[in-house]
Amino acid sequence: MPTRIHPILGAFAILVFFFLLAPLVIIVGAALSDTTFLTFPPQGLTLRWFANIFQIEAFRRTAITSLQVALLGTGLSLLIGIPAAYALNRYRVELPRWLSTLFVLPILVPEIVFGFALMKSITIGLGLPVFISLVVGHALLILPYSVRVVGASLASFDFSIEEAARSLGCPPLKTFMTVVLPNIRAGVIAAFILAFITSINDVSVSVFLTGPGISTLPIQILAHMEQFFDPTIASVSVLLMLVTVGVMAIVEATLGLTFLTK
Amino acid sequence: MPATIAVILLLVIPVLLTIATTFGEAGGPFSTYAAFFKSGFRMAVLYRTLQIALITTAIALVVGFITAYVIAQMPGRLKSIMIIAAVFPLLTGVVVRSFAWLIILGKNGIVNNVLMSVGLIGEPLSMLYTQGSVIVAMVYLFVPLMILTLVGVLEGIPRDLIEAAASLGARPVPTFLQVILPLATPGLIVGAVLVFTGSFTSYATPQLLGGEKQMMMGTFLYQRAMVTFDWVGASTIAAIMVVITIGVVLIMSRMARRLNPMAV
Amino acid sequence: MTVSLTIENLSAHYGTTQVLKDLSISVAAGELVSLLGSSGCGKTTTLRLVAGFLQPTSGRIRLGDRDLTTLPAHARDIGLVFQNYALFPHLTVLDNVAFGLKQRGIAKPDRAKRAMAMLERVGLAPLADRLPAALSGGQKQRVALARALVIEPPLLMFDEPLSNLDAKLRIDMRVEIRQLQRANGTTSLYVTHDQEEAFSISDRVAIMNAGRILQLDTPEVLYQKPASAFVARFVGFENLIRMKVVERQAAIVTAEAAGGTRLHLSQDLFGPIKDDFILACRADGLAVRRDGEGIPALLGTRTYLGRAYQYKCETAAGEITANGPLSDPLDAGARAVLTPLPEQCCILDPED
Repeated sequence: MPTRIHPILGAFAILVFFFLLAPLVIIVGAALSDTTFLTFPPQGLTLRWFANIFQIEAFRRTAITSLQVALLGTGLSLLIGIPAAYALNRYRVELPRWLSTLFVLPILVPEIVFGFALMKSITIGLGLPVFISLVVGHALLILPYSVRVVGASLASFDFSIEEAARSLGCPPLKTFMTVVLPNIRAGVIAAFILAFITSINDVSVSVFLTGPGISTLPIQILAHMEQFFDPTIASVSVLLMLVTVGVMAIVEATLGLTFLTK
Repeated sequence: MPATIAVILLLVIPVLLTIATTFGEAGGPFSTYAAFFKSGFRMAVLYRTLQIALITTAIALVVGFITAYVIAQMPGRLKSIMIIAAVFPLLTGVVVRSFAWLIILGKNGIVNNVLMSVGLIGEPLSMLYTQGSVIVAMVYLFVPLMILTLVGVLEGIPRDLIEAAASLGARPVPTFLQVILPLATPGLIVGAVLVFTGSFTSYATPQLLGGEKQMMMGTFLYQRAMVTFDWVGASTIAAIMVVITIGVVLIMSRMARRLNPMAV
Repeated sequence: MTVSLTIENLSAHYGTTQVLKDLSISVAAGELVSLLGSSGCGKTTTLRLVAGFLQPTSGRIRLGDRDLTTLPAHARDIGLVFQNYALFPHLTVLDNVAFGLKQRGIAKPDRAKRAMAMLERVGLAPLADRLPAALSGGQKQRVALARALVIEPPLLMFDEPLSNLDAKLRIDMRVEIRQLQRANGTTSLYVTHDQEEAFSISDRVAIMNAGRILQLDTPEVLYQKPASAFVARFVGFENLIRMKVVERQAAIVTAEAAGGTRLHLSQDLFGPIKDDFILACRADGLAVRRDGEGIPALLGTRTYLGRAYQYKCETAAGEITANGPLSDPLDAGARAVLTPLPEQCCILDPED
């Protein structure tokens, strides 16, 4: 039973949604324009700018790097993040308080500062290969999301069912895999999606960690824009938006889109 | 826990080391900071960054709150659609979303095209690389985050309380001012902190829409580190950013706790 | 100023489902009427319609000579006590109570004085500066009550106000609510699913099911003379035995239940009996004897109730629950005869 909305407020909200969505529509339009400069509304329709993406080797290479970094980084962050979230919730009373504060730190430290510090210490200082630095940097960037999202679903997990499994003779690791993990499935999926999206779109950390020959797609887009200002960028952007659509479709298929409203 | 070691080794120590380098200068431990605060150009960057972040936060608060309020009142189905419409831009990358404003505000952009075809202007306006263009793009970037934060907060206000207010004779406006707004205040503070720190430390948006003319702390840090290779200068900027970010978070979270009506 | 509440032919829908069907009820000035029923019976819907949180599809709601039907909730002037208290968490106890006075434009010193006086009446004056989070459940409910009463509403409504309290407190609070309501003489509508609560607090009780009122009567009448099998079951008649008259001799009727069990019932004692009827008996309304006239039964589990033994009995007419005297305990497996006692039984029309 919703209360009535004042028409002025309703109109304002409609304007806000126009403001939020119109720029994305404009990108799609600009990507289809048959001009060598970016414009909207499109003048003539063509798909040649999409074809052009695949002609540019740098886009193809960085897109693959971005995917690799996002998958490895997300996997790594979940691999260390899930046990951390589990321990923080399971042994909340026994663990010192600074531990949970520690996992808030990556949010408090500006990404751009983190990127700079990481470059100085591991890429330059330790001389780690660029690709490894990127994966490590991304894993750490998204670790707090993994810990918090998984932690949120663990917070409502009833640890007594774990004890029940143990009392029925199930060994600890098997208990975790067969009893705990299935019950926090939604949290793990949500963490994966959030982490993946954050990683694939990241600029602030990557901008310091990319090096000669190895770059990520958003960084490559920025570099490309400094030299060319043609609809190719718009069409790459459209492809990135399709990734977002794909992610939302995965959310819908696994958790239901209403999950996002919670 | 491996995660603890990872955070300490790869985040805490590198950031502390970075900050530590700023105290080892020949001119004394605080010489780089003295230089920073004496330099008109560097202070202008800091002021500009604070100003843009504050304006962005203020606009996002108002726009986000009104929109979230409308969304929270919508019936289930429509509400889900509106939330998804707000999530979509949020999941789209910052580069893509900033880039959209290049098309809109550029020389051949929509705004110029429309204004010229109406005959309001004869020459295209140069709207890019102004403070306004950065703020518009920042607001665009952070309004969805504000909306989602505040929808959660407003949904958390029990309907009972609104009904109780009505049963006691409160009209809609007093109900809003005396019940909804005070209960939403902690959420508004959380939203404000997220938007302020996000815009204060942003890199891609000022890079694309502000350029050299509208340098902000993020772009300034990058420029010092990767263009002029002044690492101590870059570290100084980094330290100032960390202090301001953590300071704002601490002050605001203390304020939120004091204003939290549920606290005893 | 006490006025009556009149609800005429009220219907309401959620989407396409009708949740209230042509409901009419009137609450006399100063009277407390309860709406009693299980969840989904329409009792809360009725209250929300009167409060103005829902709009009826048809019908009228009048309070004295005011027609409330289309008034917005904030203009109805009804004191409402919520199930979850609905105290404003950001306001002190005093400010919560003064909230309604503030909306009525009453100056600050005056409203503080009146709110304080009301807090004194509910015994919470020392807690005036606390926030609701620092109160116990019973204290919260008292604040909610004070907040609803201080605006001196012509109508008070209660939505399951005691369901979140523990058993002991529930009984104390209902006495307190009844005393305050009596003292002010405020016309009241009280919604509950708890029969004992409704019977103990109300002048009259409306038993509701599927969006209708089945019976509106004093607790005494409802308890002793339910008008239908549904109400009988609701007020605790454990045994409903369907019977058909096979023979009439003057006032004595011979009736037969399923399985061929026959009973002789006197219309002088049971009242008029139709050819097809239901004999409704409480467990106390069936005497358990070793022999005599009545329903032959095979005794099952015996439970000690403190004032009697309760037996689950197998009979040809189905399972029957009956209470026997403490002086003569019978064992499971014993044979006995169950005799209906007229003052604890009633004759009802069959359902459908």
